[in-house]
Amino acid sequence: MIDPYYLQQLAIGLSLGMTYALMAIGFTLIFGVLNVVNFAHGEIYTLGAFAGLVLISAVAPPIVAVIFGALAVGALAGFSLERLAFKPFRRFTDEASLKSRAMRESTLLSSLAVSIVVREALEILFGSEMRSLPFDYLINTPVRIGPVILVTGDFIIFGVAAAMLIGLQYLLTRTRIGLAIRAVSNNPLGAKYVGIDTDRTIITTFVVGSMMGAAAGILMGLYYGAIFPAMGFVPGIKAFVAMVMGGLSSIPGAVVCALILGVAESMATTFVSSGWSDMVAYAFLILTLIFFPNGLFGARRERV
Amino acid sequence: MSAPLLAIEDLHVAMGPQEILHGVQLAVPQGSIVAVLGSNGVGKTTLMRAVSGIYRARRGSISFDGQPITNLPAHRIVNLGLLQAPEGRQIFSNMSVRENLVLGGGDVGLGELDRVLGMFPVLGERLRQNAGSLSGGEQQMLCIARALMRRPTLLLLDEPSLGLAPKIVAQIFDLVERIRAEGVSILLVEQNARAALRIADHAAVMEDGRILLSGPAAQLRDDPRIAEAYLGGHVH
Ligand SMILES: Nc1ncnc2c1ncn2[C@@H]1O[C@H](COP(=O)(O)OP(=O)(O)OP(=O)(O)O)[C@@H](O)[C@H]1O
Ligand SMILES: [Mg+2]
Repeated sequence: MIDPYYLQQLAIGLSLGMTYALMAIGFTLIFGVLNVVNFAHGEIYTLGAFAGLVLISAVAPPIVAVIFGALAVGALAGFSLERLAFKPFRRFTDEASLKSRAMRESTLLSSLAVSIVVREALEILFGSEMRSLPFDYLINTPVRIGPVILVTGDFIIFGVAAAMLIGLQYLLTRTRIGLAIRAVSNNPLGAKYVGIDTDRTIITTFVVGSMMGAAAGILMGLYYGAIFPAMGFVPGIKAFVAMVMGGLSSIPGAVVCALILGVAESMATTFVSSGWSDMVAYAFLILTLIFFPNGLFGARRERV
Repeated sequence: MSAPLLAIEDLHVAMGPQEILHGVQLAVPQGSIVAVLGSNGVGKTTLMRAVSGIYRARRGSISFDGQPITNLPAHRIVNLGLLQAPEGRQIFSNMSVRENLVLGGGDVGLGELDRVLGMFPVLGERLRQNAGSLSGGEQQMLCIARALMRRPTLLLLDEPSLGLAPKIVAQIFDLVERIRAEGVSILLVEQNARAALRIADHAAVMEDGRILLSGPAAQLRDDPRIAEAYLGGHVH
């Protein structure tokens, strides 16, 4: 019989991993299409959480409306982010430019710049300390399953993450816009020859990816009950690690690795103090880069 | 004679400071095959890309079916029915053959699928296969098939025979003639001058970003300059 303690830690880890997965999906989607790391993804998460906070304190709507509000802000933020930090560096004069090194390096910096500006702006507007959400909005009512105690938020996060993953898979394989996203990811020049509006497709990718990031933000806000301007930083790093472990542009790979990461962190708190559990992610990142430069699942580099 | 389907006037295209096309003049009459010949690096692909809206024109004009398309975005040109099977094929190698064809159909949908698969039976047998795992000849066929899914009125073919065995080349040239027989006008870039001149109605020779000479294909076939430069030592 497994010690219930480990079952409990496993459950916590899976739940944690799911939130990393929500972040990692959007991150990986954008990486797959543009081959660039979007440094502002963590701030999208934060914006989603603050959108929820503002909504709750202004009109106190039902929780579903809070989530939709966060999704709307995420969509708007993704759109603006693409226009501000990515579009200006994309000059399509030859086939290489869309995924060129120059493009990669300049957008690395421009998205980092946007992330700093957003974080500082939020600090000016809301202050840098933690803001707590009203108690009746929190999703942490305990639920007992056998020896394991979970909270309602674990199920909500699991449900939302699963729905998003399935929805995204449907989008990418069954819909015209999803096929276009994959086509641009696979061969941006080829996409032009079949009449895809590559610019619009890239915007759509940012909007979809950012909606997921914003949803993760508000869910985590409701789960932990605390919201602050720098809250996106650590999840952003975790999502990045999951993406690298998953092989950079595989969404299912990133999701699996996000779960592994979450479980490993929660198990690690058995042996080290929880303050150190973030080190697990860094250790995984370094080990992956040294031993599995193509990700844990081998060299199959199927984009998106 | 009625206005040509495609008319290129004094087209200049530059990459940064370097001008590559220095005033190209070319027309594709409705229902014809026009071949553009020329050796490596003279600007044939640049011309094709400018027509498809991938590269911008610095000067000059391109009109298609009576309307100006100069510097229109590539996807809008495709929507007008001007399609290209580009150099290097540019298929979606991580996606299935079927997905490539679906993408080719775009707004037009899958209405052409049966007809296109009738022309390219090999593709029908490999619909679920990854496009990247096709042989070179099959990839070229997929590239042309993908363009046909849109029901083009003008098809641009950039070196469809490149890197293929003579038997496959012959097959591709047969297909080009069949496509024209179905009412699609064709602008064909080729280094295989002999084969191209055999199926073309008109031909033009490019050199250093300009059209050096042009005329009916039969006339160019007998032109001693062509014979020497492009048909000479080649055995095809
Ligand atoms: N994106 C680009 N940037 C800079 N120079 C370019 C670019 N594209 C083409 N060129 C240059 O323009 C010239 C013409 O190239 P192009 O590809 O049009 O030749 P081509 O006639 O198609 O040759 P080939 O038969 O080898 O395909 C070449 O000198 C090439 O180096
Ligand atoms: Mg060429």
